[in-house]
Amino acid sequence: MTAARFPCFHCGAEIPAGALVEERAADATLSFCCHGCHGAYLVISGAGLADFYRRREWRESGLSPQAFQGKYQESYLARFVYQAGSASAIDIIIDGIRCASCVWLNEKIIGRIAGVQEVRVNYATGRARVLFDGSRTSPAQIFSRIDELGYLPRPYTRNAAKEVALNEHKDLLFRFGTAAFLSMQLMAYAFALYAGYFLGIDEQMKNYLQLFSWLVTTPVVFYCGWPFLRGAWRGIVNGSPNMELLIATGALSSYGYSVYATFAGEEVYFETAAMIVTLILIGRLLENAAKRRASSGIERLMELCSGEAQRFKGEELEPVDPSLLRPGDLILVSPGERFPVDGAIAEGATDVDESAATGEPLPLYKQAGDQVIAGSCNLTGAVRVRCEKEVEESFIARVARLVEQAQSRRAPIQRLADRVSGYFVPAVLTLTVATFCWHFSQGGEFGRSLMTALAVVVIACPCALGLATPTAILAGTGAAASAGVIFKGGDILERLSRVTVVVFDKTGTLTCGTPMLVDVQPAQGLTRGEVLALAAAVERGSLHPIAKAVREYAEANGVAYPVGEELVSLAGGGVTGRVAGEAVAVGSVSFLKRTGAGGVPERVESPEGGIVVGVARRGRYCGALVLKDRIREDAPALVSYFKRGGIGTLLFSGDRQECTEKAALAAGIDKAWGELSPAEKAAKIERLREEGGTVLMVGDGINDAPALSAADVGCAVAGGTDIAMETSDLVLAKPDLERLAEAHRMARRTMAVVRQNLAWAFLYNVVGVPLAMTGRLTPVYAAAAMALSSVCVVGNSLKLMRTRNG
Amino acid sequence: MASSLIALMGLSLFLGCACWLFFLWAVRRGEFHDMERPKHRMLDEDEREKWRK
Repeated sequence: MTAARFPCFHCGAEIPAGALVEERAADATLSFCCHGCHGAYLVISGAGLADFYRRREWRESGLSPQAFQGKYQESYLARFVYQAGSASAIDIIIDGIRCASCVWLNEKIIGRIAGVQEVRVNYATGRARVLFDGSRTSPAQIFSRIDELGYLPRPYTRNAAKEVALNEHKDLLFRFGTAAFLSMQLMAYAFALYAGYFLGIDEQMKNYLQLFSWLVTTPVVFYCGWPFLRGAWRGIVNGSPNMELLIATGALSSYGYSVYATFAGEEVYFETAAMIVTLILIGRLLENAAKRRASSGIERLMELCSGEAQRFKGEELEPVDPSLLRPGDLILVSPGERFPVDGAIAEGATDVDESAATGEPLPLYKQAGDQVIAGSCNLTGAVRVRCEKEVEESFIARVARLVEQAQSRRAPIQRLADRVSGYFVPAVLTLTVATFCWHFSQGGEFGRSLMTALAVVVIACPCALGLATPTAILAGTGAAASAGVIFKGGDILERLSRVTVVVFDKTGTLTCGTPMLVDVQPAQGLTRGEVLALAAAVERGSLHPIAKAVREYAEANGVAYPVGEELVSLAGGGVTGRVAGEAVAVGSVSFLKRTGAGGVPERVESPEGGIVVGVARRGRYCGALVLKDRIREDAPALVSYFKRGGIGTLLFSGDRQECTEKAALAAGIDKAWGELSPAEKAAKIERLREEGGTVLMVGDGINDAPALSAADVGCAVAGGTDIAMETSDLVLAKPDLERLAEAHRMARRTMAVVRQNLAWAFLYNVVGVPLAMTGRLTPVYAAAAMALSSVCVVGNSLKLMRTRNG
Repeated sequence: MASSLIALMGLSLFLGCACWLFFLWAVRRGEFHDMERPKHRMLDEDEREKWRK
């Protein structure tokens, strides 16, 4: 039988010589690389789900499907089962879910196990909740079915803290939904009352409308607004007036005034009370969502590492919880598993995918003595690992802690708001009391004096002030989003507009992150085209970025290459195969030496930071290809934009100092620092901030995550690791650096609008409060002024949407 | 006049309440948990059987 020319139908890997398994389907013969893939195909097509092969996308290389050999013990899994109504339920994290088809496939397959009642796979978190009948099936059966598909299931432990956060979010959603619904009802009554004021209204009708308004406002203030009332009370008890006190004062005073007015036959302001609560709840909801997104990536990775570890006890294996691992312990990590702790390989060799941790797209070959990072994924071979750190001290946990610290430190803006209200609230209250005393002492009737005094609080309540910032920010972020820039919160616009230093990460941010072929160096007697054709023939079908770069270059230069056969990719960075019957090896220089090729030069001339790939035919060296990562084309323009604005530019990288400096020079960046660890990057940013700078960090890897969090504004570029996107404040939806300049311009414009809005709202207070104090402000003019002020503020904010298009 | 208006207001409040209860039910059922999956779900062919529940 000849060697297969096509990759495995199931997993897409090249089929090693002598391993071909064939299956006759209706209209074609399908090839598989192993019986595992063949079995998986049979499971999938047997279940009538052969559609999977048409739906899936093969952009990411992942775990090989036969990787999972884990055994799922009933006794161990039984601990994670809980009761949900009459059924049993279990939560499963499914490692390997990447696209909608994965979700679809898992739901279908699990749903068809006899005894399973309901399956829901959450696409965002990769978690499945399975309801099943405990007497007809078992968790182990479900687990091994998922495993057969090539995904790695792990039981999910419900963490008390997470549960609390989830409930809090639900609670907030309840409160907001209720407030929104009741406010809508209320506005209908309010409009009828406005019309009634101007056109005349039957006294009894007016009273009914007011009573209805009262009915719907009460739950908004006391149920939906409960978090603010509680916060305000805490503020009073602690003797530190806060923002919540201001909100509570505004809502309660207009509510109290209106209740009084309902019985006194005056105009009511119920809608003011309800709108304050509703608007501020929206703000809370958005802020919460952004915060949860920020930490979910790291949490997920930690969940993935949190399964059982296999520890050696003599020559026996015992399953232990990773938290029990101590430095010096020897563990077995099978293909498809993630390393639970930092350590070094003691025995065996494998390819390791560290992309989650370092952003490095290429799998790395690791052998005995090499370091492995917690959270990275073991791809190809089982290895014994000597633990060097405890779980708590391992890479992922450290990154998570750094991110958490940086997030919790972000209070100054909130403190500023609290400080302002610290003056504002007592001032307003004093004025109110003074107004009441003055009117009453001047012989005013008690009720009338009270109304006048309450009018002061109502006028001073932060309605326009409350609208000034959110509307501008909503318009600004909306316009930015349509331009491909996603802001994760309003305060980020503010900080971005004040940025004084921009720090870039090198690999993947300032550079493209994927290598490009820059040079071909044939050995004596060969042409560039011949070497290129050989390499491309062997690299055919591989998803490795280097292979892709080689093929692209060959195709772009019109080099026709033959079809390689018996292609085998070997761990350790190389591919071998046959081209026109001759053995060809392509890979790193050390790989070629290992295959026993002769004439391999000690050193191949290559530019700084280049990757050298050698080619050998029939055991003779034929030449080398040089690949290099390159600076993004739009990088210099962006750097010069910031420089024109008087903003400093810096380059941080984990790469060597010379490489970093060269890249900085090419992009026009002022200063470069190389050889920095993630923690050092974050510390350097800390220092910049202490010196009074406002720092914008642009990065893409998880190694940038602490730095992104530490900076005033962290910006992630699309195409980077998920974790970087989640820990950053600002995401460029397309890897186009020009958009960052656009984002900066947008932030400045938005802040200008916010300042105008605030000035207007303040002016309104300055005019309105004295009028209210003298008792000259009749309620309807107050209402009109309020509406006018709000319209001005909103209209001014909407200007931001227009300038973007114009 | 007044009585018909009050009846209408009561009706609108009642309808609103129905929507609100629906919202509460949806939040409680976790319908807002996963905003990604439903848009893909509608493309699945054999979804009909699922809606029995």
